[in-house]
Amino acid sequence: MKLGRAATELPAQGWQLLPLRFHRIDADSVVLTSLVGEHVLVTPGELSAVVDGTCADQDLLARLRAAHLIQVPGERLPAELLAIKLRTRMRRLPDSTGLHIFVVTLRCEHTCRYCQVSRQSAAKNEFDMTEQTARRALELAFRSPSPQLKIEFQGGEPLLNFPLVRWITAEANRMNTEHGKDLAFVIATNLALLDEEILGFCAENQVHISTSLDGPQDLHNGNRRRPGRDSWQQAVAGIRRVQERLGADRVSALMTTTEASLGRAAEVIDTYAGLGLRGVFLRPVSPYGFALRGRGGANYDVGRWLEFYAAGLDRIVELNRAGVPMVEMYASIIAKKMLTNSDPGYVDLTSPAGIGIGALVYNYDGDIYASDEGRMLAEMGDRTFRLGSVHDSSYADIMLSDALLNPLTESITLSAPMCATCAFEPYCGADPVFHHATMGDFTGHKALSAFCRRNMGVFTVLLRKMRDDPYFRDLMWRWAQ
Amino acid sequence: MSPAGGAAGAGADGTGAAAAGAAEITLVFDQATVDLDALQRAAYAVAAEMTADIRACGADYACTLFPRTHDTSEEELKHRFRAEVNDQILRARIAKETEPLRNLVFALAFSQTGLVEADAEGPA
Repeated sequence: MKLGRAATELPAQGWQLLPLRFHRIDADSVVLTSLVGEHVLVTPGELSAVVDGTCADQDLLARLRAAHLIQVPGERLPAELLAIKLRTRMRRLPDSTGLHIFVVTLRCEHTCRYCQVSRQSAAKNEFDMTEQTARRALELAFRSPSPQLKIEFQGGEPLLNFPLVRWITAEANRMNTEHGKDLAFVIATNLALLDEEILGFCAENQVHISTSLDGPQDLHNGNRRRPGRDSWQQAVAGIRRVQERLGADRVSALMTTTEASLGRAAEVIDTYAGLGLRGVFLRPVSPYGFALRGRGGANYDVGRWLEFYAAGLDRIVELNRAGVPMVEMYASIIAKKMLTNSDPGYVDLTSPAGIGIGALVYNYDGDIYASDEGRMLAEMGDRTFRLGSVHDSSYADIMLSDALLNPLTESITLSAPMCATCAFEPYCGADPVFHHATMGDFTGHKALSAFCRRNMGVFTVLLRKMRDDPYFRDLMWRWAQ
Repeated sequence: MSPAGGAAGAGADGTGAAAAGAAEITLVFDQATVDLDALQRAAYAVAAEMTADIRACGADYACTLFPRTHDTSEEELKHRFRAEVNDQILRARIAKETEPLRNLVFALAFSQTGLVEADAEGPA
């Protein structure tokens, strides 16, 4: 049955506001978001008319009603639907922790200018994880209630301790015959040490490879230094070998933006496309480890990074228009949060924060950290996010520790100044590690926070592009699926 | 009152009081129409551009603004602060109007999780 216009037409003052937040994305548009992040763009005048009850634009009122921003007084269904969607967005919380990072060695044969983990010389075996430490870490990992368990090997360069990678994988598979979890393995590697034995192991165990690729050869090799100055050549050769042997979807790459990257976003994207990679994650340098040194590559501000990000996004859209599928991974995470009710659980963009709940890190020496960045801070002498040790902490000790619960409770965005009233709150996250590292407290002063400026900038870029370019809006819908 | 339009209204003295000095800018708001909370929230939100000192002066609030840099004109900073105050007033109005519904949604979302029964029965 087709409903006539009269059946849904709302008279002046014929609606009431549902909980909503607003943000002016430019002089022409204000974004209104519901409790769960559904959004509608209006003009400043329309915002006044909707709040004052004088809006006569029935199409706009229908869109606001569909997005649960207004309702007819007395309706019960909108509140019930909002409640269901809110629960859906938070359903990951009882299933913590899905990602378990094993730092199997701090050794590395690269000396990357922005390295965040304070690598050690490749000859110093005392920075390797032992089987005893790994076994205890696995026992803790399998205590997690999450039905999915992803074990990620990191370093240093984890392939420098490949025997332990092999041992942990076999032991995890053995333990999983009892637990029956959806178990996955990832090796985060620069690929310089990749050989046939490792490829065969990855094929046999369905291991995913995550590598670093900063863009064109000169840019990558300038950032990521190793003997022979051939990091890019090694990475590219390794990516091709993995694609051929394991399949195109079994390798992904991450880039880090240094000041040398600025102005070269299109070249970075084209390098990825040329290698047949279908996704790129445009990331700023994180404020940890060697990145904080003068030559660490972090000498740029949020505004310049946002210009780089927008230029990269433009190039990705051009490629897609030309028939080359390419995803910007950060935008795709945000697309899910903006356009669906599912929360991808990306550690940096969740509240409560993803530390501990989303990921646990087992350092080479058995120390346990709430996040990779928490481990990086510890390498700089700040052990705030050390939750315990595999050698003397129980699962309850770790998950109920003050070192985890204090930053989680103090940084929840629904109660943080500015976040609580921010229209972007459903899309954003808490990130207490970043704010502790840069401002000295878990909440941070949001008006002065680079995390806040960067993410508000990204949300604004994405909303403007969706408003101005129907093709980009369709692309975001595809990325959200 | 129509603060959503971004006009200078909401009780702000549109011209502002005389600047107290080269680096100080003072705006006066009528206490009858502008809550202290809105001024404080606005001061927090613009902290990257300026800091603010807020004082009660008779029936007014006097906000002295201290720009962090000299890149922005005095008039622009006044517009920026007034616009932020107006937005904070609008946010407070929306929050007040929708608070019962917000509480209802959260109650519905988290009252049917089964956790209460589970607690009564002890850990699973």
